[in-house]
Amino acid sequence: MRRAVTLFSTLVLATTLLALPGAFEPAQAQNPQQQDGLNPMGTKPTADSVNEEFLFKQNSKITGRISIPDGKAANLIQPQGREYQSFRERYLPWIGAAFILGMLAALGAFFLWRGRILTDDTQDSGKKILRFNAFERFTHWMTAVCFIILSLSGLNYIFGKRLLMPLIGPEAFGALAQWAKYSHVYLAWPFMFGVAMMFVVWIKDNIPNRLDWAWIKAGGGFIGKKHPHAARFNAGQKGVFWMVAGFGAAMSVTGIMMLFPFALLDINGMQVMQVIHSLIGITFIAGILAHIYIGTLGMKGAYDAMGSGKVDLAWARAHHDLWVEQEQAKTASGPQLGRRHPAAAE
Amino acid sequence: MKAFIVAVIAAIALGVLAMYALTSNQKFAYQAFATTGARVSEPGTNLVGEKWTGNPSTNDTGESAHGKATGEPSNPKRS
Repeated sequence: MRRAVTLFSTLVLATTLLALPGAFEPAQAQNPQQQDGLNPMGTKPTADSVNEEFLFKQNSKITGRISIPDGKAANLIQPQGREYQSFRERYLPWIGAAFILGMLAALGAFFLWRGRILTDDTQDSGKKILRFNAFERFTHWMTAVCFIILSLSGLNYIFGKRLLMPLIGPEAFGALAQWAKYSHVYLAWPFMFGVAMMFVVWIKDNIPNRLDWAWIKAGGGFIGKKHPHAARFNAGQKGVFWMVAGFGAAMSVTGIMMLFPFALLDINGMQVMQVIHSLIGITFIAGILAHIYIGTLGMKGAYDAMGSGKVDLAWARAHHDLWVEQEQAKTASGPQLGRRHPAAAE
Repeated sequence: MKAFIVAVIAAIALGVLAMYALTSNQKFAYQAFATTGARVSEPGTNLVGEKWTGNPSTNDTGESAHGKATGEPSNPKRS
């Protein structure tokens, strides 16, 4: 009996030892990959010897071989594209909404706190002084009109399919998006031309100086009722000028790279350009919203400067006292008399 | 107001000019990438079809088929 038990135990042990490797074999066959991504000894050596993980250790992309001249068509898998897609589809809409709605909320809160910035009436009220001549206004409005259309059509790229398409339906949205795309691509050119013209016309009055620091320290007239001294443009306006020049240049370069795809850049470069273009575009829109606010609702009399070109002399003295003195001195000094000049007070 | 109207007209004019300048040199992929050694087939129609059904053969037969490739054909050499 004892011998039979021993024999039975030996048989059970032997069966277990034989069956054990067989039990793990299917699992190994299903997951033959080693830690380094290679599996030269897999069940299907040819298919298993190379896999996605292994290929990505050799290069950042997986490419094939093609015979047509368009080498980009050889690209099969590019993981950076997934990161880009994640940014484009998941983060960008939230970043855009936070920036633009945040700026609108900040401007609304500022308006409720400060109200409209007014100018005290003085004996100069009623007299007009030319602040921007016709060419300056033309340049400003051409750039501004293009900017508004570029902003709306640009936001449509991010928010259109999420917000607009559910409201108007895919057919109408498709037509609208097509026209928005045309306007974005073609009105970019007058916009770039306008930014370049504004840069040339106004740079001489926008060089930062000590007065700007004093203007910033005094709160720029936003805090309190007293307006600090300013020449033709105060530090806030100079900030808008340099923002438009810098962002305008960045948007132009990144936009041209996208208008001529793959002319200078590869797919990674194209994606980086799109990321920069969208992030600067959103910041640009938020910045210009503040500019529009202060030029219209935020400050009484400010719109006239770009509307008719002429502002109230009292307004000009309050906001740009040094410019008024300078320009009137020019007019009074003689040579400018009789000529059409921006400083001629009527 | 006059400056504003002139600015809008100028923006449209420059935009139209840009449109002509940019589209004058454009070619279809089957024209641009065809060489003597490589023939790129002419798609003829939008690959997803006019109705976006994924079946271009059923609904893109008309003259006004959306996405129908126009322009000079590449006349590929057939061997």
